[in-house]
Amino acid sequence: MILVLLLFAGLSAITPWLTRILSTRVFYLVALLPAGAFVYTLTQSGRVLAGDEVTQSVPWIPQLGIALSFRVDTLGWLLALVVTGIGALVLIYCARYFSPDEPSLGRFAALLLAFAGTMYGLVTADDIYVMFMFWEITSVLSYLLIGHYTERKESRGAALQALLVTTFGGLAMLVGVILLSTAAGTTSIAAIVADPPAASALVTTSIMLILAGALSKSALVPFHFWLPAAMAAPTPVSAYLHAAAMVKAGIYLIARFAPGYADTPGFTEVLVVVGVWTMLLGAWRSLRQYDLKLLLAYGTVSQLGFLTVVVGFGSRDAALAGAALLLAHALFKCTLFLVVGIVDHDEGTRDLREISGLGRRRPVLAAVGIIAAASMAGIPPLLGFVSKEAVLSAFLEAGEHGEPWGWVALVGVTLGSILTVAYSARFVWGAFARKSGADARAAAAPHASHSPDPLILIAPVVLTVATLAGGFLSAPIGHALEGYADTVPGEGDYHLALWHGFEPALGISALVIALGLGLFAVRARFSRLQKKVPVVVDASRSYWAIVRAVDAAAARVTLFAQKGGLPQYLSTILLVFVLCLGATTALNRTWPTEFVLFDYPAQVFVAAAMGAAAIMAARATHRLAAVLLVGATGFGLVVLFSFHGAPDLALTQALVETVTIVVFVLVLRRLPPRIAQHNKPMKRGRRIAIGALVGVTMGLAGLIALGARQAGTLTDELARLSVEEGHGKNIVNVMLVDIRAWDTMNELSVLIVVATGVASLLFVTGRNVSMPRLRESRKRRQTTQRVKLVNDPHTSSEAPDDRQHSWLLGGRTLAPENRSLILEVLVRLIFHPAIVVSVYLLFAGHNAPGGGFAGGLVAGLALIARYLAGGRYEIGETLPIGPGALLGTGMLLATGTAVGSLFLGADVLTSAYFETDLPLLGHVSFGTSTIFDIGVYLVVIGVVLDVLRALGGEVDRQQAEADGDELSDDHTVMAEEAR
Amino acid sequence: MSDILVPLLVIIPLVGAAITLILGRHPRLQILISVLALTAVTAAAAVLLAIVDSTGKPAVVKVGGWEPPFGIVLVVDRLSAIMVVVSALVLLGVLVFAVGQGYADRDRDTPVSIFHPTYLILSAGLFDAFIAGDLFNMYVGFEMLLAASYVLLTLGGTGSRIRAGVTYVVVSLVSSLLFLGAIALIYGATGTVTMALLSDRIRELPLDVQMILCAALLIGFAVKAAVFPLSFWLPDSYPTAPAPVTAVFAGLLTKVGVYAIIRTDKLLFFDVPLQVPLLIVGGLTMLIGILGALAQADVKRLLSFTLVSHIGYMIFGVAIGTELASGATIYYIVHHILVQTALFLVVGLIERKGGSTSITQLGGLLKAAPFVAVLFFIGALNLGGIPPFSGFLGKVGLFEAGAASPNPLVYVMIGAGIVTSLLTLYALMRVWNMAFWRPKKDVEGYESPLIESLQEGPTGSVGTMTGTATATDTETRTSPLMIGAATGLMALTLGLTIFAGPLFDLAQRAAGNVSTPEPYIDSVFPEGALVPVSVDEGGVG
Repeated sequence: MILVLLLFAGLSAITPWLTRILSTRVFYLVALLPAGAFVYTLTQSGRVLAGDEVTQSVPWIPQLGIALSFRVDTLGWLLALVVTGIGALVLIYCARYFSPDEPSLGRFAALLLAFAGTMYGLVTADDIYVMFMFWEITSVLSYLLIGHYTERKESRGAALQALLVTTFGGLAMLVGVILLSTAAGTTSIAAIVADPPAASALVTTSIMLILAGALSKSALVPFHFWLPAAMAAPTPVSAYLHAAAMVKAGIYLIARFAPGYADTPGFTEVLVVVGVWTMLLGAWRSLRQYDLKLLLAYGTVSQLGFLTVVVGFGSRDAALAGAALLLAHALFKCTLFLVVGIVDHDEGTRDLREISGLGRRRPVLAAVGIIAAASMAGIPPLLGFVSKEAVLSAFLEAGEHGEPWGWVALVGVTLGSILTVAYSARFVWGAFARKSGADARAAAAPHASHSPDPLILIAPVVLTVATLAGGFLSAPIGHALEGYADTVPGEGDYHLALWHGFEPALGISALVIALGLGLFAVRARFSRLQKKVPVVVDASRSYWAIVRAVDAAAARVTLFAQKGGLPQYLSTILLVFVLCLGATTALNRTWPTEFVLFDYPAQVFVAAAMGAAAIMAARATHRLAAVLLVGATGFGLVVLFSFHGAPDLALTQALVETVTIVVFVLVLRRLPPRIAQHNKPMKRGRRIAIGALVGVTMGLAGLIALGARQAGTLTDELARLSVEEGHGKNIVNVMLVDIRAWDTMNELSVLIVVATGVASLLFVTGRNVSMPRLRESRKRRQTTQRVKLVNDPHTSSEAPDDRQHSWLLGGRTLAPENRSLILEVLVRLIFHPAIVVSVYLLFAGHNAPGGGFAGGLVAGLALIARYLAGGRYEIGETLPIGPGALLGTGMLLATGTAVGSLFLGADVLTSAYFETDLPLLGHVSFGTSTIFDIGVYLVVIGVVLDVLRALGGEVDRQQAEADGDELSDDHTVMAEEAR
Repeated sequence: MSDILVPLLVIIPLVGAAITLILGRHPRLQILISVLALTAVTAAAAVLLAIVDSTGKPAVVKVGGWEPPFGIVLVVDRLSAIMVVVSALVLLGVLVFAVGQGYADRDRDTPVSIFHPTYLILSAGLFDAFIAGDLFNMYVGFEMLLAASYVLLTLGGTGSRIRAGVTYVVVSLVSSLLFLGAIALIYGATGTVTMALLSDRIRELPLDVQMILCAALLIGFAVKAAVFPLSFWLPDSYPTAPAPVTAVFAGLLTKVGVYAIIRTDKLLFFDVPLQVPLLIVGGLTMLIGILGALAQADVKRLLSFTLVSHIGYMIFGVAIGTELASGATIYYIVHHILVQTALFLVVGLIERKGGSTSITQLGGLLKAAPFVAVLFFIGALNLGGIPPFSGFLGKVGLFEAGAASPNPLVYVMIGAGIVTSLLTLYALMRVWNMAFWRPKKDVEGYESPLIESLQEGPTGSVGTMTGTATATDTETRTSPLMIGAATGLMALTLGLTIFAGPLFDLAQRAAGNVSTPEPYIDSVFPEGALVPVSVDEGGVG
């Protein structure tokens, strides 16, 4: 069976390509596969009918209990025959139904074939999850097939509607499946049905959920509306999916579970009520249709209701009748759809008011249609008659045994059958009769747009023969189906037969036929009556109402959630923080009892100052003021660090704050000086409140957290470790470059990313790798100078080779009013000492305050000073390498020490340490961690350089460009360099 | 062997980043280095997974040879290894797509020269977050990937990207601050940041205090994982980025948050009863998220909302807390990483082929780009939980786990999960109807009743308000690399179905490691933690 499924999958996959070669003949080819599956199933008949089962199982997901297990018993065998047999016939029909120039033919053929395979899997699967998978796949394939005419709006809408409705049911069913299989402890359908878990509310719920899936799939009330809409599909699809196969899946499922679960409270009741209701509703609507296809579609809805009543009734005889009826319905309904397809082709319309006299023109077609309709109406000696007899007998029997639901079902089914006879007659009349009114129109219409094609009749004729033969072979068929029926508990010894003698059921049948035909005879009057009956609940309209309501709710909720933008998102996050932390804090019962408010009184003062600065920063109206105030809080931290005996941290923090302020100021040059105030006072108040609450909660949480500490920190041990094993007296530095060097290495990458990211925002046009230097611009300047010489005395005063006479080279590029000689001199004088200091900090850092980070910052500040004094070309003159190279090299040094230790067989980032006495230098000690620190040093310089270049140099350039300065042509220089 | 492989997961991308920075002028070499680096990481991660899985014991590396809790430990158990392998695959796939897009644009400067180093640092950060055995190091990992993501999001510096970037950066910084604050609180209360030691130390604290610490930590993570109500920022941030960037964000960044939540719940705060709150926020995340998706006409935004929504399933799985649930959650995470990334890449292709990402403007794509259509359809069904795709299997796993530990709230959650699944399918099939089926010539306003109701909804205003303005990319070329990358990732999601058995088995084994703290603690402290005795009030910086 698995092989069959694989063949289906494989052949479907290549069908689109085959179609390119074979055109419509591809259908004959692919029909071979379901036909083969049909034959294969027939070969299993012997074993299945002997009461044996054909099983096959391959484990798949044992953790979820899901296995690819398949099992063919009588019910599965019956349905497998139906879906493969009809599948093959419909495919053959397609070969003639479609013209070779039909668009998307390959896709259609592939989908239809895949559907046949999926149906086969559905009815043979034993694992309930695998069955569900096929179940859902049929929904998806149905979606794709209904939407075959993708250019038609109604096709697309109907497809989506069918998908949503059946998936809705399917998902409900999934929950039921999960609950039931968990309760039963197995995923094998056979085992679940044979050995149901003890009755409980849970089991009842899960069965109801599974039934919901079945009802939606089989288009029962209240889900029935999707089926008529699905008639937008090509007719073969309607015949196969929406008459013979897919809609039977729900019936199949009910039939599957009935043997084990018919006693579940509500099972029979729900199915009988829903079934009868659907049967009557469908038939009633069917009588109002003028489109033959819609007439049949509502007829299908009605018949599915009928089937539901029968298979859901839960007695042995009803089960037998249900199986027979299922077969009969598949045969005749499929035939009828195929006939309508031919009529549509021939007449160019399906409107029964416009078709006239077709019976005479196409006698074979008419015969086929009439026999099928007769079977639907339950006229002897057809299979439809035999099965309907069985149904009536089963309900009579049940009623006589004192089951009230037997009578309800009997009455309902009888009424429904009367309507069925009426619409069957209406169909025959509509399709084949001569109609006086229609004659004129029919004569005017271009007749027989397609010439009659005998090959297209193969499928309907074969099916009709089966319907006919079924009636006469009812005894053996019945015998075969008893294999299923006998699994339903309860007594009963009904056997299918064409002739049971004069029984009450026969009488009812006769009555039904008579009344039905009578109803047809008074159709005009009945139609007027129908119009007067108001539609109480229109399920289709309810569906749209629900869809719209969901859409509207979605829009409203989303609008509400997303409306406020960033301020709202932040408020939400902070409020949640306050609520969660506040609630847990409020519930806290272990508050600390001893408080150390401060170590030094000065701490209080500094903290207060920092708080004040923070508040003022939030209130500041000038950007520069805000930046300086934020800087003030940072310097407050420097003081606090010093109090805690962390000079190294204080040093680093001070340097960071300095660089930050400079960078801020560089940015502020391009921003308006004042901060715009958009906030309404109320919003402002709310934000202040949130801010205050966050602070208070965090403070309280900190109090509790610190008060709850039981274990000691690592401080003392770390101090010992850093001296003894890290060979450094500066714990912070040892931590940074050795103990927690991994963090440092990673943080370096953060620095790199941020710096390059900032730069890339400014160098949108392309990031140049090397620095802009004087010499590149000079060539251009010389040419422009010639022009400028005459009217620009400032420029002319500059000799091109005044390298020796200038304190800062870049200074020459500045406009004279921007130059400050004193500054240039000063910078020139302090630059080299600053670099020396930075190098000293780098190497001394292991034992004294400093380290690569602080050293790098000092070097960076020196660079900043050069830039501030000399302008943007000064950066390139000072450090003629690109920041990318610096950053990359620094990173390589840091990662290199990490990899190096790996090569030496040690843990990653393990440091090595050497000590020796050298001449001149004296006692020298050197650890590999120093190499790491050099990496840090380089990266920090690179970061400063990159930021300076972008926020300094590039902003200058853009400013100059905006000012229309002659320097704008440097843009080209930079762009060239970028290449 | 694992001693070497574990740190290499981070070091290789960092070295790659360093080299690509130096090679800023040589885009081709940059590509070569990036691809090599990520391929190497993928291989290393795969080997590592095999080792960790076969030995059954987490691999522990003491960086610099420093014993925990003094030094940093890197711990790779099965969960970490799985996350790293999947992330590496996704990163590699998206890189190929990005390279392809660069070639398709025939512009060697975009992606700009910093794309590669930034992308590699993002990778390094991700891997570091997954292998960190130290809470502060995990924070550093987050910082790396976030800093890199800020840069990637604003790549190109268009107005809408900068605007989205501001939202993203500010929210991320706030969440990082909350995370850092939580670390400070935890360190204050326990005196350590080594996670294995924390697990013990936290359990020694009064439960009240544990709850405070747990709440503080979880909020930071929940923002990153985009858990309701901390999720609103995401759909405003992600969709504006270039397609490959959005894809990688959507696939991976939120999952780091989920990963961290799993660690918080199962390792650090094992005793804190989190089930009820997690179930509630998980359910709301699903429902509110998917309603958001329904209100979107822009496919990228729509997918961003489904991303948020499906985080709810993972939270649901974490909340149930049984081993079965953890296994299903891990499977679901893997599934979601792959399918969400693949779908965003497909949308990148749609944008190229259709010139837009809005279903109000797309049409006729089935004919114009049948292969893209197939990719989208498979991805959509997968995300919508249609069998036999992995989304379905993951949900079955989660729901089975829920059914096995019955409790009314769990049943409600299963219901929410079902509704979300249906609505996801609805949202995505509507896209299919409009963008793929509908002929291009019919693209004139809205057409079916469904879409009329979409029109009635204030989608337009939602869009304009938050600055969706999909800059209509006139670029229509695609390259085989782009299609290949999207196809490859989609194929991986199919692999999740075909090899569902062994993969679920692996996830289950991973869950066995994760669902109690002991295996993790024992691997870091085989002879029990050596706890320093001295009590000291001062902290270490």
